[in-house]
Amino acid sequence: MPDVTFTVDGKKLTAPAGTLLIEACRKAGIEIPAFCYYPGLSLQAACRMCVVRQEKVPKLQTACTTTVAEGQVFTTESPEITQARKATIELLLGNHPLDCPVCDAGGECELQDMTFRYGAGESLYTEAKNHREEQKWSPAVYFDRPRCILCYRCVRMCGEGMDVWALGIANRGSSAIIAPNGGDHLDCEQCGMCIDACPVGALTSDTYRYKTRPWEMNHVSTVCTHCGDGCKVTLGVRQVDDGAEIVRGDNRDKSGINGDFLCAKGRFGFDFVDSKDRLTKPLVRNAAGTLEPVTWEHAIRVVSNKLKEIRDSKTENGGGSSIGVIGSNTGTNEENYLLQKFARTVLGTNNIDHIRTTDYAAFVRAMAGHEHRAASLRDTETAKAILLIGGNPTEEHPLLAWNIRTNFRHNTARLYIATDSPIKLERQARQTLSLPVEGYESLTAFLSGDDSALGEIENAKTFREAVNAEESLLVIFGQEFRGAAIESLVKWGLAKENVKFAYLGDYANSRGAADMGLSPDLLPGYIPVTTPGAFAEEYPNLSTQPGMTAPEMLDAGCRGELAALYIVGSDPVTAYGTDPAALKRAFVVVQDIFLTGTAALADVVLPAASLYEKAGTVTNTFGDIQLVKKAADKAGVKPDFEILVRIAGGMGADVKKLVPFGRGSITVPAVTAPALSVDFVPTPRPIPSLRGIHGDLGQSRGAHSGEADRHAVWLAARGLELRLSPFDPLAALDEIERLVPSYKLDRLNLFAGNDVHSEPGFVPVASLTAPTAAELILPAHDGLFTSGVLGDHTKALVELNSYQESISQPVAEAAAD
Amino acid sequence: MSIARNIAGIAKGMSITFREMLEPTQVENYPDGPGPLRGAKFEQRFRGKHELQRDENGLEKCVACFLCAAACPSNCIFIEAADNTEEKRISSSERYAKTYNIDYNRCIFCGYCVEACPTDAITHGHGFELASLNATNLVMRKEDMLVPVASLTAR
Amino acid sequence: MPKLTSHPDEVKIISKRFGMGAANIDRYIELGGYEATRKCLAEGSEWIINEMKASGLRGRGGAGFPTGLKWSFVPKQSAKPKYVLVNGDESEPGTCKDHLIFLHDPHAIIEGTIIAGLAIGAKMGFIYLRGEYRYLIEIMEKAVADAYAKGFLGKNIFGTETEFQAVVQTGAGAYEVGEESALMESLEGKRGVPRIKPPFPAVVGLYGGPTVINNAETIASVPHIITMGGAAYAAVGSERNGGTRLFGISGHVERPGIYELPMGYNLKKMIYEVAGGVRGGRKLKAVVPGGSSTPVLLPEEIETLGMDFDQVGKAGSMLGSGGVVVIDDQTCIVEFALRTISFYQHESCGWCIPCREGTDWLKKSLTRFHAGFGTKKDIDNIQYLAENMMGRTFCPLGDAAAMPTLGFVKKFRKEFEDHLDGKPCPYAKHVEVALV
Repeated sequence: MPDVTFTVDGKKLTAPAGTLLIEACRKAGIEIPAFCYYPGLSLQAACRMCVVRQEKVPKLQTACTTTVAEGQVFTTESPEITQARKATIELLLGNHPLDCPVCDAGGECELQDMTFRYGAGESLYTEAKNHREEQKWSPAVYFDRPRCILCYRCVRMCGEGMDVWALGIANRGSSAIIAPNGGDHLDCEQCGMCIDACPVGALTSDTYRYKTRPWEMNHVSTVCTHCGDGCKVTLGVRQVDDGAEIVRGDNRDKSGINGDFLCAKGRFGFDFVDSKDRLTKPLVRNAAGTLEPVTWEHAIRVVSNKLKEIRDSKTENGGGSSIGVIGSNTGTNEENYLLQKFARTVLGTNNIDHIRTTDYAAFVRAMAGHEHRAASLRDTETAKAILLIGGNPTEEHPLLAWNIRTNFRHNTARLYIATDSPIKLERQARQTLSLPVEGYESLTAFLSGDDSALGEIENAKTFREAVNAEESLLVIFGQEFRGAAIESLVKWGLAKENVKFAYLGDYANSRGAADMGLSPDLLPGYIPVTTPGAFAEEYPNLSTQPGMTAPEMLDAGCRGELAALYIVGSDPVTAYGTDPAALKRAFVVVQDIFLTGTAALADVVLPAASLYEKAGTVTNTFGDIQLVKKAADKAGVKPDFEILVRIAGGMGADVKKLVPFGRGSITVPAVTAPALSVDFVPTPRPIPSLRGIHGDLGQSRGAHSGEADRHAVWLAARGLELRLSPFDPLAALDEIERLVPSYKLDRLNLFAGNDVHSEPGFVPVASLTAPTAAELILPAHDGLFTSGVLGDHTKALVELNSYQESISQPVAEAAAD
Repeated sequence: MSIARNIAGIAKGMSITFREMLEPTQVENYPDGPGPLRGAKFEQRFRGKHELQRDENGLEKCVACFLCAAACPSNCIFIEAADNTEEKRISSSERYAKTYNIDYNRCIFCGYCVEACPTDAITHGHGFELASLNATNLVMRKEDMLVPVASLTAR
Repeated sequence: MPKLTSHPDEVKIISKRFGMGAANIDRYIELGGYEATRKCLAEGSEWIINEMKASGLRGRGGAGFPTGLKWSFVPKQSAKPKYVLVNGDESEPGTCKDHLIFLHDPHAIIEGTIIAGLAIGAKMGFIYLRGEYRYLIEIMEKAVADAYAKGFLGKNIFGTETEFQAVVQTGAGAYEVGEESALMESLEGKRGVPRIKPPFPAVVGLYGGPTVINNAETIASVPHIITMGGAAYAAVGSERNGGTRLFGISGHVERPGIYELPMGYNLKKMIYEVAGGVRGGRKLKAVVPGGSSTPVLLPEEIETLGMDFDQVGKAGSMLGSGGVVVIDDQTCIVEFALRTISFYQHESCGWCIPCREGTDWLKKSLTRFHAGFGTKKDIDNIQYLAENMMGRTFCPLGDAAAMPTLGFVKKFRKEFEDHLDGKPCPYAKHVEVALV
């Protein structure tokens, strides 16, 4: 669309023709109030707050439906317009209860803000207000009908945004109400998006209801700890006796990679942090064989002394190679990096692994050397055509599903789906292909031109034709693809131009764990231990012999060949079904937030902080890196990072070598990556323009909590901030950036709270070893209300899960009457 | 003319002064005089120790809206809110203050909390003998400030 | 079939066949029916639109938009199918003209629909009846079935290559659906709320296709215009207001009823001669000239008032749907206002704030006021409310509620003041008002 020039309040503005006036004004810093207008959703023009005067038009026009054209002249503030808005608010307040002191939205209510601005402070009516009792629609959502101003944001959010259509309007006129699909309850995905969209306190969440007020909380924007999409979640935190508790999760500033979106897990799934089952004291197994609470100092001493003894032992069952280390899928990149560095340099072992939910190593191996072929999550919102093979994004990657739906709605993106069972996204699909369960590899063959591979499936040929006809394509595939299967699929796509790839993995930082070298054979950045390159100098005692994988370690432990097992934030005993008794002979140390199956048999259990209680970075399954900020606080627990540094210190290691802190830690990041073992010079990347801080005038609630401290961001972005503490994870980030080419980050964006995409194409090709065995992959397949161990300890999610199960029971008895 | 007016003005002023000189003193001799517990009179507007009021049904007026805490310049009010239930009703609204503490170490008796209160739940009483040798005694809890139910029936 | 009365001043064009059993297709043909369609098939689209423009026919639904012009806005070429919509959702209090057409002359509607279709190049017409007109549905459906049987509708109408289908559909009974875009929503099976305009129906209408939507009376006039010729039709009416109109006179008159009179006919004459004067020889207090949504007129304002869109507009009211409501001197205007606003409060769809909340509060205030619990400030409040609804709502329903209220308060403020201070209604022995 060509740009047009028009005048608003005497100011000349320029915008593409057809832009909505309200949007054009907001971009120019002219605020036009609105209740019903919500960017990205269909237009309503129902609230009449955005009325403006257009020259030569008799009536006031709604800015949310007026599109700009050349030469138009608008007035957005005048006594007439102010009066119109004031009258509308007066009408709303006529029936709106004035219970602001108890209302959850009080302090971040758009109706309050508007009343404050236009001053409808006087009541014109003496009649009683229409009152209705509050309704509980589900364990997550409450509806306070008199507070509702019928802006229909929730209806559209649920229908258009979520494609659930659980909300609608019943009755008409002044009796019109928002009604849930179950009559008096909601049967939906319980995402809580309606609560976020509600401009007033009509829709409230069970987890936050009547707990506190918005200004009493600190709002911390961090990354959700649940699935692999890495949504930004704003946690409302308040001080309590034993630290700081999280009282609310929402998507307050909408500045993250997830835009408007947040699912049930991100919104309600934070109460595991305050679960009674949390470990808050270090436990050491005493002579009687039970775990006994001890002080941190004692526990660290026990662990470091024992590990040192085993490492230094010259017996057959001793030395570094007799220690196994298993890392976490939910820890930060810095912790994972430190863990593998600790294992490789302090413990002197390559026996390091994590419970792999996805075969990232194979994915990166296939992508190596091909720049700009790995998709960011943001690409899913703009791609013209998407080929989804396997997986069920609606359940397992809700943000991806949201992005695909948004893309379909706004850009009529063409979606092609090939799965073995029907998924909900098929409603948006242009074509679907139903594959046999084992048919994914045949699909690759078929796409590559082997007609016999899927010969019997009816529409396979038209599907292939349509996919091949696309000029650009985003290929998203799930854990059905492992090892060589990934390679052949990627090979098919790389042969075509404009094809990008994304691989779906399970947990918050599964990708980071793989990237950071929690593998027996791969160093950070997928550098093989056999040819460590720059790492040979960096890591003094690095062995070039690949170590054991996690299942091998457990087997070795059961056979008594492993003297010590160090486990951080994972539960391999349960995951691999190991006999707990068999591990008795090994010295097992577990750092975790709950007493998992593995922790229960450990010799020392160290209470760790959850992702919401520490800082660092995480990488989502698309390779988008984001900053994690510390929100909650719990007395007694320590971040994994600190625990590792303390143990390394206790073992007599040079902590400064492990974590570069103190004087000299100021590192201006080099422009080019260090030379690695192969001829590999990454092309200099253009620094993406600063996306900036999302200013959402009037639509978001209250202050812009996502706004970062600009000075601190500037310093951090330029590496000019002195790392004063050995426990500062950002010191490790400096080193990661220095050594891992794909993690050369646009720091300004990262520290301003934006996502930064990492580029697997920077991984050197020739150096990669053979693909990992497919059977090592254990996908979690978490649904909308489950999230591994965390989900089991999250009361809100457990409740929602059982509620959804209870209402999906068929009501046969009622029909029989 | 102006001289006469000036003299008249001074005379009028001095007459008030001389009259007041002969009147009995109005200042309370504290602590040796009557004092608050011994019948001293207070001006209505005196800002003393806070009182948390009850409504006509004996329910607490405070609905835990946190506005007093937000208004407080010395940050001395701490509140924790909780839900009323059908069985246990503390205030007339959906929410009540489970905890309501005022730290008199920090309170400056500015009265902003009283002005901010939308339900007239917090008011200034006339208590002023708050001195203590132990600072922890100066953190008053809800029970210390809430007017007793009996005082309602007495009125 | 009810007995039909008449008045010598009537010019029978639309009502020509009323009472002659024209619901029967054979009788209709005998009375010259479907001749106009044959003519149009021969002459073509351009000619039809020109005739319509020449006739000066203006939309009978209320807004008075020239019909020929409306048809000419429909794009000639369209990727999506075009539609003709007949708006028979006649719900305005004081208006009951369309049901006579459906009852007595259903084939005129079908014929008009076909001609409109030929004019814009549509192959499909929908005849939408008000939800409450259940008893007319059968008549209309039979008429359509008969027309299909005769080959007047279908793949090859009148044996030509031209296709035209027609469907009769009824709503669920909502005043709001009389608004053209709400009617389309309702027809599509959705909640009957208006759409955002632009785009206008002529460009994006029913199912996204270009759509012409006309009032049933407008459509029924079409075959007559074709038969008479546009110029002859125009000559019947006043300047820029061609033809005749079915005026529904109700309220306190001796002979209430539907009379077909030329446009521009004097209102006073209409009340005192055609309708036989105010009932019981009482004095005239006020007249609502065009259905309940139009501002009230005082007796002195109707002396020389000709009933066409321009003159009534100049007098500060609107011709609307042509439903004249006569109010005698024993009627309480406050109660009349309350009765009017109660209707709009009940019929507001609830979409936008000013209408949803405004009508509700107007009703509440007026109820209390009429009961004698009003204050002087309430009169100002009622006026303030109505003023702030005017022109602020999503669709014209808000205006329809605010306009008459404003008229009542401004023109009969004294009568409002008579209700103050707990005084009982001065017209306590009120006469039943002719509304609903």
